[in-house]
Amino acid sequence: MQLLNLLRKIERSVLVALFLIMVLLYTGSVVTREIGGTFASRFAWIEEAVRMMNLFLVFLALGLALERGKHVGITNLRQKLPEPLRRRLLQVIDTVGLLFSLYVAWLAFGLVQFVLKTGQVSPTLGVPIGLIYMAPVVGFVLLALRYGLSLFGVIDRFTPQEATQ
Amino acid sequence: MMFLVIIALALVLLVTGFEMLLVLGLPALAYKEAFYARLPDPAVVQKIVGGIDHTTLLAIPFFIFAANLMGSGQIARQLIGVVTALVGHTRGGIGHVVVGGSMAFGSVSGSAPATVAAMGRMAYPEMRRAGYSEKFSLGLLVASAETALLIPPSITLIIYGWITGTSISQLFAAGLGVGIVLGLAFAVFVELQARRDKVSHGDRVPWSGRLRAVWDAKWALGMPVIILGGIYSGTITPTEAAAVSVVYAIAVEMLVFRSLNLSALIRITEDSAINTAIIFVLLAMGGLISFFVTLAQVPDMILGLLASADAGKIAFLIAVNLCFFIAGMFVDPNSTLLVLVPPLYPVALSFGIDPVHFGMVVTLNVCLGMITPPFGLDIFVASSTLGKPVTDIIRGVWPFVVVNVIVLLLITYVPQISLLVPRLIYG
Amino acid sequence: QEFIARIGHLESAAQSRHVHLEKVAELVAERTDGAVELQLFPQGQLGNQRQMNEGVQLGTIEGTVAPAAFLGGFNPAVSILDIPYLLPEDAAEAQALREGPFGKALLDTFSDKGMVALTLWPNGKKQFTSNKPLDSLTDFADQKFRVMDSSILIEQFNALGASAIALPFGELYTSLQTGVVDGEENPLDTIKNMKFYEVQDYVVISDHGAMEDVVLFNPMFWDSLPAEYQDVISTAFSEVIPDLTAHKAAAVEEALQVITDSGTNVRVASAEERAELHDATWGPASEAYVAKAGETGEALLKAYDEATAASQ
Ligand code: NA
Ligand code: NA
Repeated sequence: MQLLNLLRKIERSVLVALFLIMVLLYTGSVVTREIGGTFASRFAWIEEAVRMMNLFLVFLALGLALERGKHVGITNLRQKLPEPLRRRLLQVIDTVGLLFSLYVAWLAFGLVQFVLKTGQVSPTLGVPIGLIYMAPVVGFVLLALRYGLSLFGVIDRFTPQEATQ
Repeated sequence: MMFLVIIALALVLLVTGFEMLLVLGLPALAYKEAFYARLPDPAVVQKIVGGIDHTTLLAIPFFIFAANLMGSGQIARQLIGVVTALVGHTRGGIGHVVVGGSMAFGSVSGSAPATVAAMGRMAYPEMRRAGYSEKFSLGLLVASAETALLIPPSITLIIYGWITGTSISQLFAAGLGVGIVLGLAFAVFVELQARRDKVSHGDRVPWSGRLRAVWDAKWALGMPVIILGGIYSGTITPTEAAAVSVVYAIAVEMLVFRSLNLSALIRITEDSAINTAIIFVLLAMGGLISFFVTLAQVPDMILGLLASADAGKIAFLIAVNLCFFIAGMFVDPNSTLLVLVPPLYPVALSFGIDPVHFGMVVTLNVCLGMITPPFGLDIFVASSTLGKPVTDIIRGVWPFVVVNVIVLLLITYVPQISLLVPRLIYG
Repeated sequence: QEFIARIGHLESAAQSRHVHLEKVAELVAERTDGAVELQLFPQGQLGNQRQMNEGVQLGTIEGTVAPAAFLGGFNPAVSILDIPYLLPEDAAEAQALREGPFGKALLDTFSDKGMVALTLWPNGKKQFTSNKPLDSLTDFADQKFRVMDSSILIEQFNALGASAIALPFGELYTSLQTGVVDGEENPLDTIKNMKFYEVQDYVVISDHGAMEDVVLFNPMFWDSLPAEYQDVISTAFSEVIPDLTAHKAAAVEEALQVITDSGTNVRVASAEERAELHDATWGPASEAYVAKAGETGEALLKAYDEATAASQ
């Protein structure tokens, strides 16, 4: 449980830092353009950097979103099921979600290795593109972790969502 | 056969309440294994990431962030206060404000989901307070955001112009006209609904009171001034306007109003990141599905059917609308535009359909695709930013789908509406 | 069919690249008795150019025809084509350079990048457009130009004292309209097709930048083809080049007419002005190139110098 809390703290800190830096960089590029001249040319990398950061923002938030019952889905029918059946269905969803997330993370890992090997770099910053595919690797692992924790009853991802309905 | 099994799988996952990312992702994986087994597996992830790796999508997270800041602090309330002082006495009241606000905001953001996020946080509580039903409020917020794609600037129109070689200025002019027609249709609907729901409306505020409301909201009004002024003066792009509006909201809420402290900022940032992720993961899965639709060369099949049916102009336009409607239910409508327009456009020309008019028909279809279930991006955005179940929003949206279809038919069969503004401007 | 090659690219179906890809597909189908089918996916239906390049390496798609400007991240050596005035003005001389040792050396640099580079396809020359007058080189100073993602192109604008601004292509029209940037550079037919002339007042025909396409195939797919089919495909891509050049020239001519008729001020840069532009930009741009492409880049520049010296 303590480990899980630490993980949450890391996820939240990274997300907040990423998002605020994206905002600052993008606003900053407006300022550099206003200053103009060749000075502005020195910040042509910002667009590329923010686009990459957004990929990490999206994938790294998947796990937290699941834990908090935020992912969208059509849940009316499943709420009307009798309790034992509903419980069984939720277990099926968690299991399928766990396997799907692990599989996608595994494929993403394959892609990271492949792209790193080809040596592709981003055109302006020169960052290895293989690294951007780390975003889905980590993101789907975090998602798989939450599906797994929910399956084994460590976290309750259904109650908060059901409560708002 | 295999194809039907996969569709059935998607439907089962959908109705039994699997997360939407699984409803889209699992059948896509199954489809790949069934029909493209030789395609390297990591390609799946390449397409998932490809679905969201676009700079123009960045406006969405930034506007979600800004909307959450404004909604949690004072700016949203003050902006609504101004508009209430100005038009709160009319019968439709806040309902008309939502339509007008979405048209103005959507005009500059160019993004329907961003418009839903921003307007939703600001106006939903006010609509409920005025007495509009939950269903109607949600439906109106989601639907009126569509005007973002019609009223210039619009990336959808730019893409259409590029594919077909149509003048973008003419398309923008036509989009303005059609966008206003759509907005008016929603306003009429609001007026009817307001009568039926006996929505409360305030007394007419005297001009002195209106001026006071404007003065009181001077800091809040800086927001639209910065966004609109920044874009039309050529200082910032719409995407940059989204980022700048976040900075402005943080500065005003934290330093001027002192309505948010550091821990509130952190909480809002985190919530906004999660809202973004929920929407973008669906766009990502949509990227995967679009890829397979493209590979399957579906448009060629449609054209084959059209040719074999020896269709006339009217039948052709019906077929176009049907294709887009059905595709729009399941795929990101901007991808359908890329895939369907190239084969359909030459046929439209051969029937003597004006390229600008055809562009309006196509763009209205793209708009419609944003709000048609099950895959309606704007529905998901509203669900995520307002914390409402998808099914509630779908219930609210369908009357607007009907309004939309009526407008679509009108635009489809009365080309003069689309061509009015371009002719006024360009002769 | 025994072999199906899905080929993606960015241009629209009416543009020269797609028209000639269709010709190549026809020739290949005919000469292999339908054993090899090239399926074409225009205007980025299969993703943006970066994703298509990666798709070719991975085997998601079998081929792409990629503008060299989008390949620098995959193979820094190819960015030599971003250096202003690299290709001779004369079409025949330029084609000789493509087909000679320099062109071969350039295509060879792809071999260890997980792509088979078949040939270079000419796709026109870039021109400058702006909303502010561009009467002479000094006018470039302090104007803002949208630039593609390339450190060499950034240096080209820096050398003129201009700002190089990164903007997505889809936002460029509106940005030119509102004035977020003053200008951009593209071939005339792109300026016509994207309607940039609707929102630009000045065009300078400087022919400064080569828009070369690289025809790329997935190595696994390529190696799986019998040698005779490989020959058929290579030959087809090469033999349409004169047609392609002519088609492009006609498209550019038509574009020039449309742009001039629209009332946009079009000016053809004189030979002296071009030489001046060459001298101002060549040094910084080629330094940026070598900084990026290292030894391979230096070797390629040397091959270029030898090839051009031989032709003079
Ligand atoms: Na717009
Ligand atoms: Na839809």
